[in-house]
Amino acid sequence: MTSLRARAVTGGILWAVAIIVLGLTGVSSYLASQTQARFVEVLETRHAQAVVAVTNNSDAPDDLVLAIGDLVYQVPFSGQYWQVETDTGALISSPSLDGERLPRPLRRSEEPLRSEFDGPNGEAVFAIGQWVPVRDDVMWYVQVASSLRSFEEDQVVLRNTLLTAFAFVSFIGVLGGLTQVAVVLQPLNKLRKDVSGRWEQEDGLEVQSYPIEVAPLVNDINTLMERNRDIMRRSRRQAADLAHAIKTPSAIMRNELDNLMMQGADMQEAVDALDRLDAQLKRSFARMRADGTDATVGVATELDTALGRMERAFNALARNEGKSFTADYEEGLLVRMDQSDFEEVMGNLLDNALKWAETQVRLEANETADGKIIITITDDGPGIPQDEIAKATQSGQRLDTSKPGTGLGLAIAHDLIHAYGGKILLSKDAELGGLAVHMRLPVGSAKRRD
Amino acid sequence: MRILIAEDEPVLASQLKKTLMSEGLTVDVAVDGAEAQYLGETEPYDVIILDLGLPIRDGLTVLKNLRSGGNDTSILILTARNDWTDRVDGLDAGADDYLTKPFHMAELSARVRALIRRKAGKATPVFSKDNVTFDTRTNQVMVDGVSMNLTSQEIAVLSYLFHNSGRLVSRNELSDHIYQHEGDRDSNTIAVFVNRLRKKLGSDLIETVRGRGYVIKATV
Repeated sequence: MTSLRARAVTGGILWAVAIIVLGLTGVSSYLASQTQARFVEVLETRHAQAVVAVTNNSDAPDDLVLAIGDLVYQVPFSGQYWQVETDTGALISSPSLDGERLPRPLRRSEEPLRSEFDGPNGEAVFAIGQWVPVRDDVMWYVQVASSLRSFEEDQVVLRNTLLTAFAFVSFIGVLGGLTQVAVVLQPLNKLRKDVSGRWEQEDGLEVQSYPIEVAPLVNDINTLMERNRDIMRRSRRQAADLAHAIKTPSAIMRNELDNLMMQGADMQEAVDALDRLDAQLKRSFARMRADGTDATVGVATELDTALGRMERAFNALARNEGKSFTADYEEGLLVRMDQSDFEEVMGNLLDNALKWAETQVRLEANETADGKIIITITDDGPGIPQDEIAKATQSGQRLDTSKPGTGLGLAIAHDLIHAYGGKILLSKDAELGGLAVHMRLPVGSAKRRD
Repeated sequence: MRILIAEDEPVLASQLKKTLMSEGLTVDVAVDGAEAQYLGETEPYDVIILDLGLPIRDGLTVLKNLRSGGNDTSILILTARNDWTDRVDGLDAGADDYLTKPFHMAELSARVRALIRRKAGKATPVFSKDNVTFDTRTNQVMVDGVSMNLTSQEIAVLSYLFHNSGRLVSRNELSDHIYQHEGDRDSNTIAVFVNRLRKKLGSDLIETVRGRGYVIKATV
């Protein structure tokens, strides 16, 4: 769907074009008619002056050139002309006509006649002519004409001036429009940022900090986010409750089968089936957990807190006596993972490392320049042969069955890390000789408020 | 050795009890968190097996309350939840070990034995004194390489004395660690068990400190 900004800008431009076209047409036609009226008015005045001069000098027509002595009539082909035809057909005309003659309409009328025709030099002229009574029954035809050249030039200048003015107004209008769009859309941009920043936080968006037009949407988003958090919480709790509900009966069945086997009954197939059932359940619960993870949002776990807990817990664990676990990490590192998911990954990997280690397990964590958290767990155990490394992260692949376990730890860690857009890589550790697990995790950008 | 099982699922609790008793351990069962905490605070257990999902008071609270009350009994937590956070919470609150359900009973026994040995400061599962050896994994007692047939009470007494070797153990303490909470206690029967052990294993193994108790001196 077209963006709001594009819609607003396109709409604004269309409106502006329509307004400019209509405005330009209206204003220019009004001004043109005004110019034309002014042109005609000037010519009428000149005609009136000529008529007065003719009336006063009908006895001495040759004096007319002096009487109508305006300078514009003196220059040949100046564009301003007058011409008087006497009843005898004598012709007196302005020097500007330079011997040329203006045509006379055939119709005889005492009313002024207006006409447009090609004048001297083939130039279009507008003329006003009138039969004027100079004595009883004696009528002279008095005509003035003005070239339309200057009128048309004026029209062009007027049009250009108007176009420039409207272009300037349009430019200001577009700038104003863009600014307005940015200002109007600003609350929506803020909303987008707030939503991505607060998805995992318990407190919703502050409705009061948005314009009233957006407030209902913000309310709806708050409701949606709350519902989403509820669904996530509920599905996790249901998965945990289901696990709890299934595992105790499974433990009971396992014990009964163990007893029967100790009494000599062949229960191996049933035990194997139960093992598969348990492994499948464990993997499915882990998958449900990974799927219920929203990795796009701004959660963050403090490594100091999480790794500190893990370090204390694993060192306190009775079964790890005689093995040392050291964690070396910079202070204040944040990883963009939910804390319980992060602990799930670390718990599985550290448990695995300590199970196989001879004497020690080391953890190192640091932040790279490109904003990733690199965590490496190494042990001095037997490691995994190069050709079996790929198998190790697959579900239920127990490479060595000499120690208890479901073979799911690496696979669960793998699934969860991938759900958060991270990477996990296994290799042989050059220094300790055992397995090295390298993780590349997204860095957390903000501390959670809860 | 006395074990408290805090597990609300009756069938699982009875299986655990049966298995541990068959290994010569004395077992009490608490069915909720409040009872577990009360028994943990008032009875001298060697190991407490604590399910985290107990009714009335959850296992983690019981664990924290016991530890904050100065109780240092070895505690093995059982959890049915997949979350490592639960386990880390438990270990961080002072548990010594954990097992996730479902588990093999053999693994649970091994962990319980390991916790008992750890308390005794012993790394290997076999105790040895002169010509007598006691294997905590099988409860097998051998004299000069010959397996001896002992009753469960005799094994309980011997096991407790071996695990506390070098230390004088009073009749009352022995009685506390081999009889159930609701069992019929008679400290005089302790003397009877010790006498039988002397007859079967030789009179030098267990020394009597008159009026105070018994001791098995330094073992290997």
